[in-house]
Amino acid sequence: MAISDLSLFQALRTKMHWHQSRQRVLAENVANADTPNYTAHDLKAVTFDDSLKSATAQMVRPAITSTGHMQLQPASAFKNMRDGSFEITPEGNSVVLEEQMMKITANQMDYQAATSLYQRGLGMLKTALGKR
Amino acid sequence: MDFLRSLMIAASGLKAQNGRMRVIAENIANSDSTGRTPDEDPYRRKIPTFRSKFDRELNAEVVRLGRIQEDKSDFGIRHDPGHPAADAQGNVRVPNVNTLIETVDIREAQRSYEANLNVINSTRRMLQRTIDILRG
Repeated sequence: MAISDLSLFQALRTKMHWHQSRQRVLAENVANADTPNYTAHDLKAVTFDDSLKSATAQMVRPAITSTGHMQLQPASAFKNMRDGSFEITPEGNSVVLEEQMMKITANQMDYQAATSLYQRGLGMLKTALGKR
Repeated sequence: MDFLRSLMIAASGLKAQNGRMRVIAENIANSDSTGRTPDEDPYRRKIPTFRSKFDRELNAEVVRLGRIQEDKSDFGIRHDPGHPAADAQGNVRVPNVNTLIETVDIREAQRSYEANLNVINSTRRMLQRTIDILRG
């Protein structure tokens, strides 16, 4: 059994993955803060309902019958959505730098919380193993 | 890996703002460049433009400095009969550069640059936290 099979670690891993993807989307917004006609994006928060649906849904997967076949992978597991910004510049750009900075900080803090929890989880395993 | 992609995207922002800074510096440096003869045009103000480009390798929208356009507004006129470029009435055409506008533009470029730097710092810290898990 690998460590990622434990449900706690699996959940934290998904959360960390989500924050990583969100950081990318926010970096895109900041880089394009002066580009005309650019609309800000954000990632949709993953809810319990969504993960339940994806876990119970019957996925249709193409069969791999030859070594040359590649496994089908979804492009991105997380949904991209338009950021509901309240300010649009005359040139059609909807990025508000302050808003993006706040989101980046929040994202970073949440990520740190997740990694701290991950470390604690590892520490608990170590304690159970009796290694100090 | 998404973190490295975030860094590359922020770097594209830094590069674009850098180019914008270069164009503004050009404008300010040439704010007094008149022609040598009455027929010759003085320096025309340049305007940097941005466009977002889909980078296939990164699978994300990065920003690039677009075509550098010229300000089509009229040149200023200064009365200076002794100037070699003065016309029959003693008027000299001077560049359509307003240093005040350029200074404000510089500030804006600086802010955007700092915002991109912030993204890089924040991403780096997150990356560091991930590596810290290894230390236990």
